[in-house]
Amino acid sequence: MDRLFVIGRDEVPARFEVLPGEALRLTFVKLPGLSVPVETEVLLAQCGCEVDVAGLYLCEGDDRFSLKLNLRHEAGECRSRQLFKGMASGNARALFDGRVYVAHGAQKTVALQENHSLLLDAAASVESRPQLEIYADDVECSHGATVGSLDAQQQFYMQSRGIPREEALRLQKISFLSPVLERLPESLVNEVVSRL
Amino acid sequence: MDNLLEIRNLHASVGDKEILKGIDLVICRGEVHAVMGPNGAGKSTLSAVLTGRPDLVVTQGSILYDGRDLLAMQPEERAWAGIFLSFQYPVEIPGVSITAFMKAAVNARRRASGLEELKPAEFLRLLKEKMAFVGMKPDFASRAVNEGFSGGEKKRNEIFQMAMLDPQFAILDETDSGLDVDALKIVASGVNALRSPEKSAIVITHYKRLLDYIVPDVVHVLKDGRIVKTGDRSLVEQIDRQGYEGLDG
Repeated sequence: MDRLFVIGRDEVPARFEVLPGEALRLTFVKLPGLSVPVETEVLLAQCGCEVDVAGLYLCEGDDRFSLKLNLRHEAGECRSRQLFKGMASGNARALFDGRVYVAHGAQKTVALQENHSLLLDAAASVESRPQLEIYADDVECSHGATVGSLDAQQQFYMQSRGIPREEALRLQKISFLSPVLERLPESLVNEVVSRL
Repeated sequence: MDNLLEIRNLHASVGDKEILKGIDLVICRGEVHAVMGPNGAGKSTLSAVLTGRPDLVVTQGSILYDGRDLLAMQPEERAWAGIFLSFQYPVEIPGVSITAFMKAAVNARRRASGLEELKPAEFLRLLKEKMAFVGMKPDFASRAVNEGFSGGEKKRNEIFQMAMLDPQFAILDETDSGLDVDALKIVASGVNALRSPEKSAIVITHYKRLLDYIVPDVVHVLKDGRIVKTGDRSLVEQIDRQGYEGLDG
């Protein structure tokens, strides 16, 4: 089941409970020009559940954004995957606070978490707080976080083909966001791209 | 004016290190020049200076391209003026399709020349024609630029882009490295098909192999940031027999 939340337009529930066999996909989109904290919990309380969570957050100007996601593996043999991509420009601040909890006895858990951010201006800030809390021993868990700026080689490559700098920057942002953009309906992709 | 490119006393550095130490090179319209030389001679630096890579600093000298001061132009302005570099190490751009990338490139150049953007159908026709020209499969257009491409595919993609952009002046920076003979022939026939009395090219290579297929009019040997010898194509044979030792002018 696919569920999409555009933050500020759609109410984000305080908790999602994943059911076996439904292969839940959650996608969160935060457009620029909005300051809001988001906090939610994803619960895997029965064996054999799967959840795939992704999101993108675009922060500009004086935006203040935080996403606190508490993903709880209470039962064994469940899989979770998280991918969050963030961008901050101007004086914006963005925080990703992602906790993965694996309960005692939740064996054979697979939990993957990634958070990548692009920092577009020196005055902007992005913070990533990935946390793994694991009380079972037979699990596969990983998390990765990066904060980077736009790649100078990509930029030069595009400019050398005649793509003006501004347009090259926009294509690079699309490139960065593409793993999440692929999950969105076309109208929302267009809206996101028009705001880059 | 017959000179398309005039490089005079060019010195260029990366950081504190001077790489090019006084290059003089004139290329006339219609000519293909080969630049050969050992590793670290400055061959790729020369191509980077010509295309405006931002980490290089020109400390002395000048470059005139088609009568214009090339060093005052941004990389994209150089592309609009008809300069194209086939990269030694093409860059991957995940999430951006070849189609989107080329549409942006082709239309930017058309806008800069005061032309209207191509209509989608016209663009697709051009894309298909040039894909066929370099022997690319139909799924190529929707793949992300260079992502997961083999070495040969990346080089072929460079030649595809060259065909799409139809440059007046092409620089091939070790386009032959990592290519098998079949891929080399495709690349060479792509380049040869673009030869004309108005167009020029620099072919940078270590080896004779590519120059068997793209026959140069003039051959230069670059060593330690200077052109130490210039000759006709017989120089290629000489280098192939003797190497670069003893070629110090």
